[in-house]
Amino acid sequence: MLKVIHLNKTYGQTKRSLKDVNFTAQPGEVTAIIGPSGAGKTTILRSINQLIRDDSGQILLDDQDIRQSNKAGLRKIRHHIGMIFQNYNLISPLTALENVLHGRLGAKSTLAGVFGMYSAAEKSEALRLLQEVGLGDYAYQRCDQLSGGQQQRVGIARALMQHPKMILCDEPIASLDPKSTKIVMDILRQLAQEKQLIILINLHQIDIALDYADHIVGINSGEIVFEGPSTDVNDQVLQQIYRQAEQPEQAVTANEH
Amino acid sequence: MIENSSSNTKSLPTLPATKRVTLLTKPRLILRGVLLALALITIYSLITLDRAGLKFGEAFQSLGVNLKAMFLQPTVGQDTWALLLRALATSVGLAMLTTLLGALFAFFIAVFSARNLVPGWLATSIKAVMAFIRSIPTILWVLIYSVVMGLGANAAVVGLTFHSIAYLVKAYSESIEETSTDTIEALKASGVGFWPIIFQAILPSIIPALLSWTFIRFEINFANAIAVGAAAGADDIGYYLFMASGFYFNFHEVGLIVYLLLGVAIVLEIVSMKLRGHYLQKN
Amino acid sequence: MNTKFKSPQQFFRQRRLRLGLVFAALLIIYLVSVIVVNFQTLTSLAQVPAGLVWLFKNFVPTQQSISYLGPILYQLWRTLIVAVSSTICASLIGLILAILGAKTTSPTPALRWIIRFSASLLRNIPVVAWAMILLFSFKQSDFTGFLALFFMTLGYLTRAFTETIEDLDREKLQALQAVGANYFQCVFCGVLPEVASTLTSWVLYMIENNLRDATLVGILTGTGVGFLFNHYFKQFRYDAAGLIVLLIAVLVILLELTSTQIRRAIA
Ligand SMILES: Nc1ncnc2c1ncn2[C@@H]1O[C@H](COP(=O)(O)OP(=O)(O)OP(=O)(O)O)[C@@H](O)[C@H]1O
Ligand SMILES: [Mg+2]
Repeated sequence: MLKVIHLNKTYGQTKRSLKDVNFTAQPGEVTAIIGPSGAGKTTILRSINQLIRDDSGQILLDDQDIRQSNKAGLRKIRHHIGMIFQNYNLISPLTALENVLHGRLGAKSTLAGVFGMYSAAEKSEALRLLQEVGLGDYAYQRCDQLSGGQQQRVGIARALMQHPKMILCDEPIASLDPKSTKIVMDILRQLAQEKQLIILINLHQIDIALDYADHIVGINSGEIVFEGPSTDVNDQVLQQIYRQAEQPEQAVTANEH
Repeated sequence: MIENSSSNTKSLPTLPATKRVTLLTKPRLILRGVLLALALITIYSLITLDRAGLKFGEAFQSLGVNLKAMFLQPTVGQDTWALLLRALATSVGLAMLTTLLGALFAFFIAVFSARNLVPGWLATSIKAVMAFIRSIPTILWVLIYSVVMGLGANAAVVGLTFHSIAYLVKAYSESIEETSTDTIEALKASGVGFWPIIFQAILPSIIPALLSWTFIRFEINFANAIAVGAAAGADDIGYYLFMASGFYFNFHEVGLIVYLLLGVAIVLEIVSMKLRGHYLQKN
Repeated sequence: MNTKFKSPQQFFRQRRLRLGLVFAALLIIYLVSVIVVNFQTLTSLAQVPAGLVWLFKNFVPTQQSISYLGPILYQLWRTLIVAVSSTICASLIGLILAILGAKTTSPTPALRWIIRFSASLLRNIPVVAWAMILLFSFKQSDFTGFLALFFMTLGYLTRAFTETIEDLDREKLQALQAVGANYFQCVFCGVLPEVASTLTSWVLYMIENNLRDATLVGILTGTGVGFLFNHYFKQFRYDAAGLIVLLIAVLVILLELTSTQIRRAIA
């Protein structure tokens, strides 16, 4: 179980991006974070695996505080947290298979990592995962020759290769067409159920969030304004989540993007 | 080009064409200023050039005679084919050796001078040191090292390598900086350490760039190897070139050596084209 | 690459094999080179630090070397203007050759090939050969260095200019031709303004390069700052030689910074 408690984040001196954020995400469920642009969705996700160092609070993954771990400990924790990005972030000249195997690098010693020494079992597993996401035929294809939807599925396979407890997805479908969107979201929901993973997704599309997520976290200007099952989300809740900030502040955020 | 632009500047006011005036943006003005300044320096330089009482007619005539001797009647002169070919091999060897050593060291230094991998101050300081080394001509490095290590191959290799490293660090680190921080971050997020990221993520992405920079440097090193042979006496083709042209005044031999060098250059061009094509195709 | 592999293991075996072959080839090249050149890798590498220490001990300019500053600065200035003027002269002729030799603007293919070939010839004659041949005819004068740099630069710039012009959008030229512009109008109003800033970048780059090469040419032909360096160096006046090295470095870096600025401004 992921528990975020009293999380605060201030960029620079004054820019408070997260204000006392609290929420939980359960294994076996898809949890969607929704909110207007600039609300702090990305900041939350990247604080969880400490790509951004937050200012204060607790992030408990199975009762272990990620923020308290030292450098080596953090690497170990990160290895159990998969991450999926809007732009896939694969190494494009490498094959799909090699990219999936990158999911194991975090578990290796420096030397084995440098030379990319993977065991036969790991190689077979990588191929199997690619087959699971429906890309068995593309294993030896360079990633820049794959479509966006296919690349995203390679990204998912790479995350699965980490044997994660949790997968963080930052707008995984923002660059995908409706068909690929459905494929990717189906896979993510299935993973949550079958492998009992915590799946945390930032989403812009409300309808998709309501369709696929079990649990919704609504955020506005760095504050959690709603948390609950997706069946509890109604027009009033949505209005609260997406309510406009005051005009001048809006202008500032627009400039920063 | 330069004369043109400067005369344009002068005749501009008399031109009533409206389109011309709108073209005079700030970059254009700066461009004209720069070209004008360069033209002035050139004129000044040509006027004050020390001619040492040269008679140009005679000089160009003798140049023509020598060029004819070189290109139309090449011979081995007082050396032998075997000697010249061996010397040529030494030059190629020097170039390969210094390029390989340079590339190896440069890669590791470049990792520590790439802004997306290490703190800014470290990258900046390494880059500054490299810029300093680069700014000193190769031949001076070789001469300096020949005092410490004695004239000959070792000094030549070390001096040439020094400059290669400084050159390649710049090229490599810029290539590294071009890889997107997002992909690096993706691996960082899964707990991958520094060196595995370098070798598994960054290196595969930049190999084509590294390859072409290394080839460019190889060509430079070959030219430098010849220069070093001439000026610092490494026993390579540059030395024989120097002796033939500056000591025995045998321009037939100079011609032959130039033909040999042209041959090497052509082979190099073909090999580098093939290899680059091959690599890009394979991946 | 649509090759089918039976298993991931097979794929990685093939990868490893290829990598192994590349490394073996590099190693062989290295070893052969070491033998041909007669280079002692370890002894030499071990001497590098000692060399640097020696350098810092002996090459540091002293109080006394300041007295050489006058002649050194003068020769540095001479070297700089020779580098500039040879580049500029070469760029003028190079531009004409490039216009006549570029695919898009060449009047005849025959001319194109002749220019291509001559440029490549000029480029591949080493600067040492230029320096020595010219030294014989033009004696020990600035002019020798000027011509040596000129010929080499001409080869490089002709190629660079040709490629720049060929990269130019063909449609723009055709549009001009369609309007009824003649050849010269096409070239002077269509091509040159478009490529001016790229060509200037090349010219600036060659000036930097020639300043470095001018030192070598100077050593060989006994002119400019290269000659002065060689002179002090052979007399073991390392402090003065060090001062020259330092000043060359400063000048090159200044030149680099300036041309970066200029490039940015005209881009
Ligand atoms: N590196 C940074 N430095 C300063 N401010 C930042 C930085 N990153 C984000 N911010 C600010 O923090 C706030 C939250 O940003 P965040 O990227 O988390 O929003 P988001 O909800 O993910 O938006 P989007 O939906 O557009 O991706 C924004 O106001 C943003 O301007
Ligand atoms: Mg975001």
